[in-house]
Amino acid sequence: MRMPGLLLMFFFAVRASGAEILPADRPIEKAVDHYVNALLKQDKIKPSPLTDDATLVRRLTLDLVGRIPTAGETEAYCSSTDPKKRFQLVDRLMESPGFIRHQVAMFDAMMVPSTSTKGTGNLREYLSKALGENRPWSQIFKELVTPDENDANQKGSGEFLRSRVVDLDRLTNEVSVAFFGVNVSCAQCHDHPLVNDWKQDHFFGMKAFFSRTIDNGGFLAEKEFGQLKFTPNKGTEKLAKPLFLSGKEITLANFREPTGDDTKKEKERLEKAKADKKPAAPPSVSARAKLVEVALQEPNGGFFSRAIVNRLWHRFTGHGLVNPLDQMHSENPPSHPELLEWLARDTASHNYDVKRLIRGIVLSDAYARSSKAPGDTPIPAQYFATARLKPLTPYQMATALKIATVDPASFGKVSGTELDAKLEGLDAAVRGFAANIAMPGDDFQIGVNEALLFSNSSKVFSEFLLDGPGTLLGRAKESTDAVQAIDLLVRSTLCRPATPEEKQLLGQYLTKRSDRPAEACRQIVWALITSSEFRFNH
Amino acid sequence: MRDNYCGSSDHGVTRRGFLGTAATAGAAAFADMTQIDQLAHADVAKELRKDQKRVIMLWLAGGASQMETFDPKPGVATGGPFRSIQTDVPGVRISELMPKMAQRLKHTCIIRSLNTKNGDHGSGAKIMMRGRKDEANLKYPDLGAVLAKEMGRADSKVPDYVSFYTQTEGRTFAPGESGFLGSRYAPMELTKNNMPENIAKLDGITEIDHQQRADLRDLLSKKFADGRSSTTMGSHNEAYQRVRGLMASEKLFDINQESAATRAKYGPTQFAEQCLVARRLVEAGVPFVRVGRAWWDSHGQNFETHQEMVPELDHVMATLIDDLKDRGLLDDVMIITLSEFGRTPSINSSLGRDHFGNAWSTSITGGGIKGGACYGQTDPTGNTVKEGEIDAGRLFATVYKALGINPHKNYYVGSRPIPLVNPGVEEVKELVS
Repeated sequence: MRMPGLLLMFFFAVRASGAEILPADRPIEKAVDHYVNALLKQDKIKPSPLTDDATLVRRLTLDLVGRIPTAGETEAYCSSTDPKKRFQLVDRLMESPGFIRHQVAMFDAMMVPSTSTKGTGNLREYLSKALGENRPWSQIFKELVTPDENDANQKGSGEFLRSRVVDLDRLTNEVSVAFFGVNVSCAQCHDHPLVNDWKQDHFFGMKAFFSRTIDNGGFLAEKEFGQLKFTPNKGTEKLAKPLFLSGKEITLANFREPTGDDTKKEKERLEKAKADKKPAAPPSVSARAKLVEVALQEPNGGFFSRAIVNRLWHRFTGHGLVNPLDQMHSENPPSHPELLEWLARDTASHNYDVKRLIRGIVLSDAYARSSKAPGDTPIPAQYFATARLKPLTPYQMATALKIATVDPASFGKVSGTELDAKLEGLDAAVRGFAANIAMPGDDFQIGVNEALLFSNSSKVFSEFLLDGPGTLLGRAKESTDAVQAIDLLVRSTLCRPATPEEKQLLGQYLTKRSDRPAEACRQIVWALITSSEFRFNH
Repeated sequence: MRDNYCGSSDHGVTRRGFLGTAATAGAAAFADMTQIDQLAHADVAKELRKDQKRVIMLWLAGGASQMETFDPKPGVATGGPFRSIQTDVPGVRISELMPKMAQRLKHTCIIRSLNTKNGDHGSGAKIMMRGRKDEANLKYPDLGAVLAKEMGRADSKVPDYVSFYTQTEGRTFAPGESGFLGSRYAPMELTKNNMPENIAKLDGITEIDHQQRADLRDLLSKKFADGRSSTTMGSHNEAYQRVRGLMASEKLFDINQESAATRAKYGPTQFAEQCLVARRLVEAGVPFVRVGRAWWDSHGQNFETHQEMVPELDHVMATLIDDLKDRGLLDDVMIITLSEFGRTPSINSSLGRDHFGNAWSTSITGGGIKGGACYGQTDPTGNTVKEGEIDAGRLFATVYKALGINPHKNYYVGSRPIPLVNPGVEEVKELVS
C-alpha cells in the first residue's frame, strides 16, 4: 500500500478509536450539547441564551417542513405550558407530509446536476419514495450508485448517475462530494498540493469505479470489461485500479480489456436491452457495486457516515463541523472532532437513519440558541454559541410569502392533517415564484435583482400585496383598531407579536397616512416581507 | 507553509495565515478575502487607475468570421469574394467590409492568433466569457462579474454589470454568469427591450410611498441587525439600499435623452441603439456592459450573412470609438469584440463557413490596450496559427492587466484560493500600453 493511504488511515484511526468518546446510549441531543458546551467551557465562551418560543417554532417549521408557521400554530406553541411541547412539535412536524416534501427538495437540490440530458426516469420521484419511507441513507446511496431500474421501488434512481455519465470526471467528483464529503477534482491534474491524502491515484482510482458506466438508451448500464489508464503529471501512463479514498485498493475479477469476442457479446447484450427499452443486465462483477461495498465497510465507512452527519449538521445549524462540506480531510480538522465521531458512529449503528439524526440535532440546545450575539462581539461560527442566520431557500421564501399574506382566518382553527392539506393547496401556487429567488450557497450574497423584483415587479404586487377577500390585507382592512391591525400584520409575517416599539412606529406610519389607510397597510406589509427578519431563518 | 495551490508563486496568503485571520476576526472576515491580497499587492496608483476603467463587450454571437473581418485572406482558394483594404496602420489590412474601422485602427489592437480549440456554441461561449473551462464543482465568474466585483461599489447608484441580448438565437448558450461569486454580481439582463426589468416604479404606488416604505423597511431591518452579523444579511440590506439609485438610472437606458444628432450617428438598428445605451452606462460608471448581436452562425451563405452584418458592426464600432474619443473616455473604456469561436477557412457546399476555434481573431480598443497593434499571425490559408498563439486565458490576463487588475489576484472559495486566471497564464506584454 502507498504511503498516503497509510497516513490517512492512521489519522482517522486515532480519532475513531472510540476510547474517549461518550457512550453510545446517550440521546443524540445530549451528546451534541455535551461536546458543544465542553468546547465553550474550555475556551471560556459564554453562548447566547436559548431563543424565545416564537422564534423557535418558526425556526423548526422552516427547517423541518420548509415553511413558516401560521399565526395559529405560533400562538398554540407559545401559550402551551406542556414541558414536552418542543418534542411534540418536532415529532408532529416530522410526521407531516411537509417534512418529506422539504427533505426531497433539499436532497434534490444537493443531487441535481446543473445540466442534464433527458432520461427515462425522474430523480425527484425516486427521492420522494425513498425519503418518504425513510430508507436508510446507506440504502439510498446503494440505490443511486447501483440502481436496479427493474425494481419499481427504485424508479428514477438511475438518473443520479445517468445524467452525469457524459462527463466521468465530473461524475467521479460529484459522487465523492455528495457521499464522502471529499472534493477530489484538485487531484485530477496533479497530486493535491494542500492535502497529503489525495494523490492523482485517488482521483483516477475513484474514477475507475465508474469508467465502465454508460448511458444505454436512457438507462444506466455497466460494461463487463475495460481498464482505465491515466498519465500522471510526473511519470508515464499507468493503469488506474479501483481505489477507495481510504487507500483501499479493489481487485476486480474482470479487471481486463475485452477480447474481440467479449466486445461482440457485450454489444449484443446492450443493443438488445436498448431495443427492448429495458435496463441492461448488470455485469458479472460490477465496479460500482464494489464501491458501495467498500465504502460501507469498516474501516473505510467513516467517510460515508461523517459526510452525511456534517451535511445535515450544516443544514440545520448553518455551519458545518467541517467547512466547506467538500473538504473533509486531514488538513482541515473538524471544530468538534469527538462530536463528529460520536454522531457518525451513532448514525452508522442506527442503520443510517437520517430522520433520527435530524431529530437529535434539532432537539439540542446548540440548535435552539438565539441568533443575537451574547455580547458586543460576534463569536466565531465554529463554536455554535449563537444561531446562524440562514437565508431562506427559494422554496421556503415563496412558501413563506404565501402563508404570510393570505388571510390568517382562512386557516381558522385547523391543524394537523387538515392544515397540511390546506397548505398543500398553496404549494402549487408558489412553485412558480420560487424561480425568481436565488438558491443560497456558501458565502451567499443577495443581489440587486431580488431587491428590484420586490420593489417594482407587478408579480410581487399581484401575488402578495392585493387586499381582496382571502388576503391578509383584506383582513386588516376590517380592523377598526390600528394597534390591532399592526399586531395582525406583524404576527402573520414575522410570526411573533409586534413589539411596543413597532406598535408605536407603525402606528405613527398609519396615522400620517390616514387619508389612505389601505395603502398604508400595504406598504407596511411590503416593508415586513422585505425585511431581513423575514428573509432569514434566524 | 505548504505549497501554494497549483504551484503559482503569486498567492500571498498561506492557508494557516488565512484560517488564523478568519478565526480572529470572526465571520465578517469572510466577507472579502481579496482585501488580504490587496494589502499584499498594494499599489495605490494602479488601484486608482483601475477604478476608472470600464468595458463594453460586443458579443458577436454564433461566431463571426475572421476572414470577413480582421484576418482577410484574399486570393487564396478559400478567401471568399471580398477584398482586403489598407488601414491607417502601415502594413495592416482588414476586410473591405470594414472601411470605417480601417480608418480608426490606430486605436484598436487586433489579435489574429486565438486558438481556443473549441467549436461548440455552448462550451465555447462559456470559455470565452469566463476565460477558462469550468471545473467539475466550480463555476467560474465571467469577465463581467469579475469587473463588477473589482470595480463596482457597494453603494453604487448604477448597475455593476449589464447584459443586452435581445435576440433569441444562441441566448441560452452564453448567459451572463457570476459563478462562485454568487448572485450579488449577477448581470442585470436585458432580453426583451432596452429597458431593464423592474427598474421603473409601478403606477399603483406614489413616489413618496415608494420611498417611505423603503425607509420603513430599512428601520425594521436595522433593528433586527442589532446584535446580529452576517455577510448575507449585509448584502440583502445593501441590495435594497441601491434600489432607489438604480431606479434613477432608468434614464441611462433611454436613448431619447441623447440629441437627435448623436442618435443619427449611431443609426437606427437595435444593436446601434444598445451600443449607445452602453456608452451612456459606462459614462455613468457602469463597469461592464455586454451588447450581444446575434446570429453570426453562417453555415450557409456565409458571404451574404457577413455582407449584411459586418458593415453594421463596422459602423457601430467606429461610431462608438469616435464618441468615446470625443468625450475623452477612450483611455478608460475598453471595447472588446468577441465570439465563441471563428469560422472555418474552408467553405462548405452551402457556401457557408463552419465552427472553428483553432485560428481566429478578436479586437480590443482603448482602456489601456496598445492601439494599432496587430498581434499574431495565421498561415496563408488561415487554417493554423503560425505565430503568437494565445488562448482564452491569456486573452483574459491581457485584458485584466490593461485594466490595471492583477491577473494573479486570488478569490477564495472556502479556503481554496482561486486566481483570476489559471496559474502560469501570463498576459501578452506587448499589448498593454
